[in-house]
Amino acid sequence: MIEIYHLYKQYGSESEGTALKDISLVIDRGEFVFIVGPSGAGKSTLMKLFMREIVPTRGSIKIFGRDITKLKNRQVPFLRRNIGMVFQDFRLLSDRNIFDNVAFALQVIGTPKREIRKRVPTVLEMVGLKDKALKKPDELSGGEQQRVSVARALVNRPAVLMADEPTGNLDPQTSAGIMDLFHEINIRGTTVIVATHAKEQVDRMQKRVVILEGGCLVSDQERGVYSNAY
Amino acid sequence: MHIRSLLYFFGEALKSILRNGWMSLASIAVVAITLLILGSFMVLNRNVNEITQHIKEDIQIVLYVEDEAPEEVQLELQQKLVAHPEMQEVRFVSKSEAMERLIDRLGDQAHLVEYYMNEESNPLRHSYELRTRVPEDVPQVAQELETYAGVDYVDYGSGVVEPLFQFTGVVRWVGFLFMGGLALTAVFLISHTIRLTVYIRRKEIMIMKYVGATEWFIRWPFIFEGLILGFVGSLIPLFIIQQGYQSAVMWMQENIYFISMLHPEAVMDDLVKTLIPLGMILGVLGSGISVRRFLKV
Repeated sequence: MIEIYHLYKQYGSESEGTALKDISLVIDRGEFVFIVGPSGAGKSTLMKLFMREIVPTRGSIKIFGRDITKLKNRQVPFLRRNIGMVFQDFRLLSDRNIFDNVAFALQVIGTPKREIRKRVPTVLEMVGLKDKALKKPDELSGGEQQRVSVARALVNRPAVLMADEPTGNLDPQTSAGIMDLFHEINIRGTTVIVATHAKEQVDRMQKRVVILEGGCLVSDQERGVYSNAY
Repeated sequence: MHIRSLLYFFGEALKSILRNGWMSLASIAVVAITLLILGSFMVLNRNVNEITQHIKEDIQIVLYVEDEAPEEVQLELQQKLVAHPEMQEVRFVSKSEAMERLIDRLGDQAHLVEYYMNEESNPLRHSYELRTRVPEDVPQVAQELETYAGVDYVDYGSGVVEPLFQFTGVVRWVGFLFMGGLALTAVFLISHTIRLTVYIRRKEIMIMKYVGATEWFIRWPFIFEGLILGFVGSLIPLFIIQQGYQSAVMWMQENIYFISMLHPEAVMDDLVKTLIPLGMILGVLGSGISVRRFLKV
């Protein structure tokens, strides 16, 4: 589903350092992959490359069999409709209620209202927030806000869900709840890629772990752990 | 564009206008003030043009025929004048008609020229009153006519005509420059005002980009917003100018009656056709420029 070959990314001049060096990685449909590593390891750069927010300096990224580095700018939105994205800071719109925040992702791709009314409650139920649909984001806890952001990423039924430090702003217990939610989503067939440095969560989940360090891929283990690597 | 999307864009634009009430008012004010100045200047310019056009149309060349010129020379002269490509109107004034006009003008004092009234003693000359197609060509044509055989001399009010043409030329160019400058200023100001509303909504735009909204889908609500702000902004100066111009026309009629101003309806008709589309174009340009910057996610 996602194939990366000899990927390099360099910001600015060579002296400023290379964000990613010669990364090759294949992620199959239905996998759950943690991308871990200390700050500055290149996790976020990799996520941005997947979303085609930036383009690599060298190498190729194939998603759904297509080299996304060769996409034209106007084709990018259609790639993103197949990738749900969750951020550390939730990125919810504070002036709208939870229902509208989730519905927003469907509205802006032109989904009919009837369909929106059907899909949003279903996805809110899945993340356990069905009865909070009319609340505003600031009336919710951090964990609940992150669940809203997961619901928004999922409502369009993407093939891949990507999360960049999704538990960075949450306490351990709430983090565990979010990770369990990702696991549940993965069981239903969605490929899940989580960039994080939450060691205890990674170790607990027993999933594939890809470790980046200084822009290089240093380890790729099935049912791996993060803690032992350091 | 799908009707559902159209309604969505329009609704989003309205919501945004209401949500950023003060900012929207500021944008409307900018459009209104700019168009008020622009519109007033247009009205002034049109009236000045109208008055100078009247003056220009009155400019004519008077060509006096040499008294001793033989008849065939006079006939050839007439043919040449009529066939002249720049000539719009050629009117022959015989010496007896010229005398009648003089008597008319003298009124009570007509007896002063009594002696000159008969054909032999009439000292006046046959002449031609000529109008060119383009009033600005008068000096040049007059010079050419002086070289024709049978011509005594040519008069066209030289010394008055040239400065008049210079003046109207300057008025026109200054008008164009001024209006162009104002339009640019308006785009600049509106783009800055709308940029603030775009900036307030940058998070929304970013989310839209991440969930796969196309650039045009993001752009349209802002374009509609600019369109609405521009439209509302153009109605205000139209109303003010209409009221102001009507009063001005009435005042002129009462006080300076010899200068006739254009009819308010004619002026407003043109102004509506210009200011409303212009306001909308300014609004769209302003919002278009602003939103471009935030689309790069």
